[in-house]
Amino acid sequence: MNAKQADKTVIKVDNLRREFKVAEAKEGILGSFLNLFSRKERIVKAVDGITFDIGIGEFVGYVGENGAGKSTTIKMLTGILTPTNGSVEVAGIIPYENRIENAFNIGVVFGQRTQLWWDLPARDSFDLLRAIYRLPQERYERNFRELTEALDLSKLLTVPVRKLSLGQRMRCDLAASMLHNPKILFLDEPTIGLDLIAKDAVRKFLKFINHTRDVTIILTTHDMEDIEALCERIIIIDEGTIAYDGSTEKLKQDHIHTKILEVEFHDYNPELENLPMLEVIKSEANKKWLRYNLDGTSMHDIISTLFRDYCVKDLSIHEPKVSDVIKAIYKNGGMERASVND
Amino acid sequence: MIEAKINGKAANTNRFDSVTNEERLHGFRNILALYINFAGKSFQQQLAYKFEYFIGVFNGLLFIFIFTSLWQAIFESSPVAGTTGFTLQKITAYAIFAMIIRISMTQDDVSTIAKIRSGAISMDMIKPMNYFTMLLAECLGQTLFHWATRVFPIFMVCLLAFEISIPSSPWLWTMFSVVWLLGYMLQFMLNFIFAMIAFWTVETFSFKLMKYGLFTIFSGGIIPIDFFPEWLMPFINILPFQYILYLPTSIIIGHISGDMAINMIAIQFCWVIGMGFMCWKMWTSGSRKLVVQGG
Ligand SMILES: Nc1ncnc2c1ncn2[C@@H]1O[C@H](COP(=O)(O)OP(=O)(O)O)[C@@H](O)[C@H]1O
Ligand SMILES: [Mg+2]
Repeated sequence: MNAKQADKTVIKVDNLRREFKVAEAKEGILGSFLNLFSRKERIVKAVDGITFDIGIGEFVGYVGENGAGKSTTIKMLTGILTPTNGSVEVAGIIPYENRIENAFNIGVVFGQRTQLWWDLPARDSFDLLRAIYRLPQERYERNFRELTEALDLSKLLTVPVRKLSLGQRMRCDLAASMLHNPKILFLDEPTIGLDLIAKDAVRKFLKFINHTRDVTIILTTHDMEDIEALCERIIIIDEGTIAYDGSTEKLKQDHIHTKILEVEFHDYNPELENLPMLEVIKSEANKKWLRYNLDGTSMHDIISTLFRDYCVKDLSIHEPKVSDVIKAIYKNGGMERASVND
Repeated sequence: MIEAKINGKAANTNRFDSVTNEERLHGFRNILALYINFAGKSFQQQLAYKFEYFIGVFNGLLFIFIFTSLWQAIFESSPVAGTTGFTLQKITAYAIFAMIIRISMTQDDVSTIAKIRSGAISMDMIKPMNYFTMLLAECLGQTLFHWATRVFPIFMVCLLAFEISIPSSPWLWTMFSVVWLLGYMLQFMLNFIFAMIAFWTVETFSFKLMKYGLFTIFSGGIIPIDFFPEWLMPFINILPFQYILYLPTSIIIGHISGDMAINMIAIQFCWVIGMGFMCWKMWTSGSRKLVVQGG
């Protein structure tokens, strides 16, 4: 646990649950007629007892597959959805009981929606937000200047929002969510559907505000590159429960005990009899991809044997990716639910 | 690197403290400014759809022409309609004013339902504002737009095309303004209550149809309430619809006045209070019940 978190907790979630009743509709014309009279209801446990604390200034990646319960959690944290059970506290406020007070403290971005007024230029939406958040003029202007610069908005501000591209709109939405100096920023899939350049702009901005402002950020995504680029801490959620909670770095160390060696030989491709601990995963022309276990032989031995016994032209070592780790965790059926607190 | 980051943060933290409650703008003036801002922006948004208001003016005049012609045909045989006290001249004035008042109260009754259904309402709920008053301010902005682009032109044309006498008593105009405003609120809250139903069921079409049907018949927008058979009156009297169009129209043409008018305004006022309470109830329980769709 890092020092910041120990200092002050800003979000407390305890055994949080949310269920949805889903009607199982019968199909066809007769079916839809029958639906009027009897409906079978099924209960979906979207969030099924999660517990975590988040400290001031943390940048947390909230990760999981589609339908894992990420958005449902965010909705409960923002106060627009009431939990079925359990408790949630954001900056000392219970969001669903005190939605408006909570709203002053948080900024929210939902990737598939916009908080801007569709027919108005973003500039006018910002002006409305200034009034809604009752910001002092001087504070608003400073924020406005800074955000427009950081997100390069100057050319976008006068265009009606409906005419912006998804990436441009997302940049405006990010600015909108930060105008009122929120303590906490919730981002639900902000990079979804964006091209690489737009994704990059979003990541750069998030890095920037996490550096310059003491804002706590919770980022929901299923894009692992977002996490690798941004989050020191990661919470993995699987079918409504927490599968992992800890530092991103530690996740890699704990769950990946292998690395990949990519070796290019001088115009030949030898059998590596002297290195039985290396597993060949791919072999192509004069290149080989080899997996080796960190618990076994030392790196030093492997490399020196390679260079001593074979004609190596080039060699690179690949670090494991977070996505591989998560796949591994899911494959184990979330067996390793431990290591919540390190 | 992480070290540097934390240090960087510490150095900058003070500059970007979150806004404290004391710092926020408080007081009546700022709240009013917010709602005027809402109304203004909503007025501005209407400008995006220029074509629609020409249609609106045309439609309005067309309906006025149809209804006045119909009444003329009906009144040809008998100059006075039974015990109602309506003469041809009076019923013509009624038809014209009922239509103009109806247009002056045009409100958007679909956007909230659409927002609840699509889940876009969550984008309003993440903001520190009261949805009801925000919507009302937006609605007033649109109304202002309708006044400028429809009500005023239609009224001008009617003044030229028909012989209608405009009351000159300031007392009557004051009374009319109050009744119009209360009627406007009634309609707004009725729409709001029906929109709230979308929190519980996706099936809102039949409710909307029901509201539309009841409103069209019993608001007095087409036929004055006086023309309905006696046995229907108890039913009409327990519904709020007549206080939306029939009452303001009857007052402006001088059909209802004196104690009768005061009585009806009192009842109208009670309706506004009652429905206001109902709106509040339905919003609090509805938004709790809210199951935001998607994303
Ligand atoms: N409004 C709803 N009604 C019924 N089921 C829902 C609703 N919202 C979410 N769910 C269900 O809850 C689960 C979690 O959904 P969600 O939190 O949106 O997942 P994620 O954001 O991680 O993709 C899914 O199985 C989803 O179908
Ligand atoms: Mg989601």
